[in-house]
Amino acid sequence: MRVEDEIKHSLQGAFNPSELSVIDESERHRGHAGYREGGQTHFRVRIRSQAFCGQSRLARQRAVHEALGAQMLANIHALTLDIDT
Amino acid sequence: MTVENQIQETIGANDVVLFMKGTKAMPNCGFSSKVVGIMNYLDIDYTTVNILDSDEMRQGLKDYSDWPTFPQLYVKGEFVGGCDIVVEMALSGELDDLFESNDVTYNKDAAGKLREANQ
Repeated sequence: MRVEDEIKHSLQGAFNPSELSVIDESERHRGHAGYREGGQTHFRVRIRSQAFCGQSRLARQRAVHEALGAQMLANIHALTLDIDT
Repeated sequence: MTVENQIQETIGANDVVLFMKGTKAMPNCGFSSKVVGIMNYLDIDYTTVNILDSDEMRQGLKDYSDWPTFPQLYVKGEFVGGCDIVVEMALSGELDDLFESNDVTYNKDAAGKLREANQ
């Protein structure tokens, strides 16, 4: 499975989002630190879910980190999160 | 001294600490660079620690903050967040509130301009 599909799969299962997009921005970082040939290193996630209701910014990001898992976070180089209800 | 003690000493002795990749003068990562840009623009008196200098410090901070990435911003000993959170807070005005409630001097005009420019 491609990394972006794995991310989508994990977040879909954890938060039942009303909106979810995962964009692979790796190509924009060609030549920068963390870039690997073939991409799949830099991602931007936009997620909207009622599951984040009442949670602080820190708590929301922590919940997403947890859903993705340590293995995934170690594997990708960069992750930009846009989280809201 | 353990890494945890070192971290506690650093965030205890300095009001605003940015643990980052690289230095203020030469950030080594786009996310660190973005937060340095905000801190500089707001005229914050802040200290930085280059986590690329020490694998022990790098891992120690991930554990201490329970946060997997850098940069990590601390204000008055409290973890604020990483790049996404700092940017969101700067644009929403929450960062102003945080600095005000912690008696950290910042440039209010610049904070307003930052929001105007990013509406």
